[in-house]
Amino acid sequence: MSAADVATPVRAGRAGRPAPVPPRRPAGRWRAVAGWAAVLALTALTLAPGIGVEVDLGALARNWQNGADKIVALLQPDWSFFPRTVEPLLETLQMAVVATAVAGVVSLPLSLWAARTTNPHRLLRGAVRGVLNVVRAVPDLLYASVLVAMVGVGALPGILALVLFDVGIVVKLVSEQLEAADTGALEAARAAGGTQLQVNRSVAVPDMMPGFWNQLLYVLELNVRASSVLGLVGAGGMGLLIDAVRSFYRYDQLSLIILEILVVVLVLEAVSSAARRRLV
Amino acid sequence: MTDPASAPARGAARRTLAGAVVPPPRPARPGLRALSATVVVVVVAAFWSVDIAWDRLADLPSEVVRYLWLMFSAPDWSALPEALWQTWRSVAMAWLGTVLGILVATPLSLLAARGHGPAPLRGALRLLFAVIRAVPEIIIAIVILSVTGLTPLTGALALAVNGVGTLGKWGYEAIEGIGRGPVEAVRAAGGSGPHVLRWGVWPEVLPAFGSFWLYRFEINVRSSAVLGLIGVGGIGDMLTSYTQYRQWSTVGVLLVVVVVVTVAIDAASGALRRRIMEGARARAVQP
Repeated sequence: MSAADVATPVRAGRAGRPAPVPPRRPAGRWRAVAGWAAVLALTALTLAPGIGVEVDLGALARNWQNGADKIVALLQPDWSFFPRTVEPLLETLQMAVVATAVAGVVSLPLSLWAARTTNPHRLLRGAVRGVLNVVRAVPDLLYASVLVAMVGVGALPGILALVLFDVGIVVKLVSEQLEAADTGALEAARAAGGTQLQVNRSVAVPDMMPGFWNQLLYVLELNVRASSVLGLVGAGGMGLLIDAVRSFYRYDQLSLIILEILVVVLVLEAVSSAARRRLV
Repeated sequence: MTDPASAPARGAARRTLAGAVVPPPRPARPGLRALSATVVVVVVAAFWSVDIAWDRLADLPSEVVRYLWLMFSAPDWSALPEALWQTWRSVAMAWLGTVLGILVATPLSLLAARGHGPAPLRGALRLLFAVIRAVPEIIIAIVILSVTGLTPLTGALALAVNGVGTLGKWGYEAIEGIGRGPVEAVRAAGGSGPHVLRWGVWPEVLPAFGSFWLYRFEINVRSSAVLGLIGVGGIGDMLTSYTQYRQWSTVGVLLVVVVVVTVAIDAASGALRRRIMEGARARAVQP
């Protein structure tokens, strides 16, 4: 608030009137207005024909019937399709579990490496962080589509894609947690003559474990959700099936697949939130 | 402090006759042991049963190096203008998806918040948010494309639907988390329900909402690249086709563009979010 705003009612009082004038609105309101204007302008730009997302309402009206048919098909799941979905569903879960386990093993030392309190070397720390920032910027499905071309179709590229993605997330979250933790115990261990490795092993690791398990659970949830669609690019699991039923327009079968993913994800969420309550 | 040797309390460190320190026994936690056994069994079973050509793993490092070399040794920069154009389409998709998601999710999150919406509706909306969050956006896009076809609009709508799930949840949690003070003040001054929302709730949650919106935009930027894989356009579309034709020198350029744009948008939006939240805090401490 600037001085002028505070002065306004006082000046009104000195003129002899009682001061019914409310104080002026604080300055800096133009920022909010400018912000909303920028949002509106950008939205208009994304809607502009030719350069943005084309919104063709005519096509919407024409295809509405088509969409309604698909939604009717979606509401009638083809239960007889269930036996064929069991194996891909299991593969999806296997990929998620294996990827989470590998990511856990890889990210435990990397987290210690990336946190200021457990790795005093600024350059080495920065290198790990920089690489992981880049790794995190690429979505998992893009990794999968490139990895499928590298190592062939199947579960392997899917797992590798998930591991890359998970390590990026876990190391970031756990190293931030390490840096936020109280340094008393670390200092005590260092004062007792421990080397950095000993200090990390005996103090930092036990301290970070609950948070670490927590993040692994979170990543497992992400993995189940992600691995169900990785197959769209040939990386194994449920996605292969989704791709198949999609190209035959079998929306009744797609609906069963969606239901299964939904049930698995919701069950996993319930289990992991129960586990998390006991953990933290 | 008593000497541990003279007062051998249960659980305290004891000395044997030879003088070696015996640590206290670890507390028995049968539940934890059963849990870790289950986790080990599940993980081992998954490793053992998953259908992987493990022998391919051996030459994976050399393969990765070879492909990285193919991608980045002689990048084909002639594809850059097209890549930037497609990236803009992806970002436009993400932005429109975010805006549409905000427009739908904000009123719904007010209705889903305890104390502001009718109770039966609240439960239904929360279930809806949970269900939407459980379905990957690419599947939502597959459903929507039967109406809108393979256009960027499909992508934007899929992101909007998915955004309703997350924004709705964050929204009602934020609304329920505000202090009672402003709401009671508006009520005491004679404000009706809408007045409470406008003057009690809205100013309190706006900074948090702004931060959620920006964060959701960051998520959408990533997801919009992915949505290209099913053909709705944008950088993902371009990346898939060049990967399929194994034009690695172009794929390298595309990956660089994706990384640079994502990191830049994350940085800008992150800075803005910090400013929103810290600005709000600074204002809150003023008398």
